[in-house]
Amino acid sequence: MEPEVLDADILLPPVLPFKRVQMSDKYPKGANRGRQWKHLKHILQAENYQNYPPDEPNYVNIEAPPSIYPAKKFCDITGFETHYTDPKTKLRYVNTDVFKRIRYLPNDYVQRYLSIRNAAVVLK
Amino acid sequence: MSLAMRPSRQTDYSLFPSDCPIVIDNGAFNCRVGWAGETDPRFTFRNVIQKPKHKATGESVSIIGDLDPGLMKYFDYTRAPLRSPFDSNVVYQFETMEYILDYAFERIGVEGPKVDHPILITECVCNPVHSRSKMAELLFETYGIPSVAYGVDAAFSYKHNQKLGICDNDGLVVCSGFTTSHVIPILHGEPVFEASCRTNIGGYHVTDYMKQLLSLQYPYHVSSFAWEKVEHLKMEHCYIALDYASESQLFQKGAKETDEKVRYWQLPYRPPPVEEEPSEEELARKAAIKEKQGQRLREMAAAKRSSRITEFENELQGLEFLLQQLENVEDHEIPFFLSETGYVSKQEIESAVARVTQSLRKAKGEPVEVEEKTESPSSEKYPLINIPDHMLTPEQLKQKKRQIFIKTTSEGKLRAKQKKQEEELERERQNQQDEEKRLENPELYLEQLRAKQRELAQRVEQRKKLKTNGTRGNGTPVLSGNVGRGERLNAAQKERMRLLTTAAFDRGKGEDTFGIKDEDWQLYKLMSRDNDDNDEGPNEDEAELARVTAKLQEIDPTFVTLVEPSPPATGNGSETPHFRPLTAEDYRITLGIERFRCPEILFQPHIVGIDQAGLDEMVGISMRRLKPELLSHGENLCNSVLLTGGNCLFPGINERILTGIQKIRPFGSSIRVCRASDPLLDAWHGASMIAASPSFSEQVFSRQDYMEKGEEWLRKYQIRYTI
Repeated sequence: MEPEVLDADILLPPVLPFKRVQMSDKYPKGANRGRQWKHLKHILQAENYQNYPPDEPNYVNIEAPPSIYPAKKFCDITGFETHYTDPKTKLRYVNTDVFKRIRYLPNDYVQRYLSIRNAAVVLK
Repeated sequence: MSLAMRPSRQTDYSLFPSDCPIVIDNGAFNCRVGWAGETDPRFTFRNVIQKPKHKATGESVSIIGDLDPGLMKYFDYTRAPLRSPFDSNVVYQFETMEYILDYAFERIGVEGPKVDHPILITECVCNPVHSRSKMAELLFETYGIPSVAYGVDAAFSYKHNQKLGICDNDGLVVCSGFTTSHVIPILHGEPVFEASCRTNIGGYHVTDYMKQLLSLQYPYHVSSFAWEKVEHLKMEHCYIALDYASESQLFQKGAKETDEKVRYWQLPYRPPPVEEEPSEEELARKAAIKEKQGQRLREMAAAKRSSRITEFENELQGLEFLLQQLENVEDHEIPFFLSETGYVSKQEIESAVARVTQSLRKAKGEPVEVEEKTESPSSEKYPLINIPDHMLTPEQLKQKKRQIFIKTTSEGKLRAKQKKQEEELERERQNQQDEEKRLENPELYLEQLRAKQRELAQRVEQRKKLKTNGTRGNGTPVLSGNVGRGERLNAAQKERMRLLTTAAFDRGKGEDTFGIKDEDWQLYKLMSRDNDDNDEGPNEDEAELARVTAKLQEIDPTFVTLVEPSPPATGNGSETPHFRPLTAEDYRITLGIERFRCPEILFQPHIVGIDQAGLDEMVGISMRRLKPELLSHGENLCNSVLLTGGNCLFPGINERILTGIQKIRPFGSSIRVCRASDPLLDAWHGASMIAASPSFSEQVFSRQDYMEKGEEWLRKYQIRYTI
């Protein structure tokens, strides 16, 4: 190791005296451990919230509902409020200049703009 | 994060008694660790781990927190992404979490065989029991801690600010963090979780949105928009508009006020080296060098020529001498005499003499007499042609073949020459006719010529267009080469596609008869891209056009050639992107509307496709969720709304939330919105305060509880926030 790296003191020592089980014993190297964790989605499924009274707060039911206000439409390029949608690319645009621009955009850019607001075509 | 900000290992661990809790604010972005009762956390680091390979030794190492750019060169970061233990705001990867805790305890200087201190660690609102019990398991089993307590960061922050007198005993806390935002009502000093509300939007989304927008807007500079850099830009420049619509309208109109609101970020730019105009001297010097070189070449050529001339002269002399000698030799002795010289007969020597004299003349620059060899009748020149094959020896047959070949080629040449002459004559005659016509009636002639030129030009242009591309169905410009979205193919292209597809799918169907007939191979010719230009037509036209144009230029002073017909206005301009040297302007990133457009997603999450209520609306939702019987004493929660969490550092968020609450509250009700004294660290401050209180030891979940009570108890566990 270079002296600079050692001086910076950024590396976590592999063995720590205060631990009862060392990292290498718990997660032995080379052993096929598979996935030992669950995504949040699966954690929440396993919580079985439906078995508990509905007025008891839990991670799922404290979530905010959709807004009661109608969603305003904004130009995908400039961010200004607008009502126009290009029927071809499905991008929203505010004026003719922006319209020209979106017609020049390559397809992957169009899809990236759409994916920002979760409206891109997802191929499965 | 700079080197200086990396925490060093604390040395005073042994000074703290074993009942002094360690407080960990385990946030999704930053982790803050310190001792209970102290005013500030000992250190803060980014809650991520990377496991790059050390380049020199090849061993993989664990690095917690932000990277040090200066040290990056020593490590190989491929396949070593930043890993966070969080999914949204819930800890789900406990292996990663273990590394983080290792680092936290190592930095705080833990000595001895276990971590012998109670731990207060923050968690999200309504943390799933799975996550909570896994965390307890990790802390008890691996680190051997005596007890643990869990608390919610937003509530701790409220308690701290309540102590500072910023907010009241009853109120609301709006906490907008890295991945989620919460609104929690506080009643009688305790958070009411059943009325809390969460939207899955936070600082991460703001940064990500900004990064996406910038990299789409400036595709040349994508590499400049590293996540950390954009995060920094966000913190420095973003603000929250009081009213998004009116603020953006200012920008849309290009109003004057916007000038001072626009920020620029100049990327490092080095102008290309400017080519200096060469000076007089330089030019003169270059000319001199050129002249010198020319002189040398000329001299060399002259020397070569003279040497060649002498060479030829010598050869000629030798040959002439040989001829003279031959005069004196008897006929039958000639072969013997010539055997030494390499020549066979006298005729051969004579022809050699003729050849050499000619080359000599050529070398001397004298006109070579064009010897139109008297066309000897072919029967004489090619004696073998007319003799039937069977009468010849194989040697003669070979010769006959050669003679036939020579004859045909020379005849071909002759024919070509004749044709050329005829064409020249024809052209001359046409010119003469034209001239006559012109002299007869110059005006009319000119008019006719012009009309003809125009027509021809049009025809040529049409052909070119057809060749380069088909019909432009909707006038959409398409980048040259492939056919773009929604673009129609012209007939030739369609036919080509059809041929290609049939060729691709026909194979392997039944027996393959391709190639039996010669016509089959025509397919490839048809398929090739440039089959559609039939050569003769356009060439004729083009030649004619050139002729007419030249003529017009000659006789009509007012004539202007339309060499490059102006491209049609439908936007062919894009096909040839005109090259322009990049300037400093191109390296300047403009932050105009982005400054408030990006944080706006906190209030309108649907902009980034999250279908949930924004921060201001969440306050109303929380109020509605609060059961009315709880508000028996007419507490006014809106009189003390505390903003905490990193996103509350945006300027203008107070006013925005205030107007948001005004919209949902009755007219004239008193509303007070205040920002936490330190939105980032107050959660730790509050936690430290509670951990230091004497009643804390009753709040904890001890090792014994862990052994005896199990998960169900952990599910109901809740710390009390009032001291």
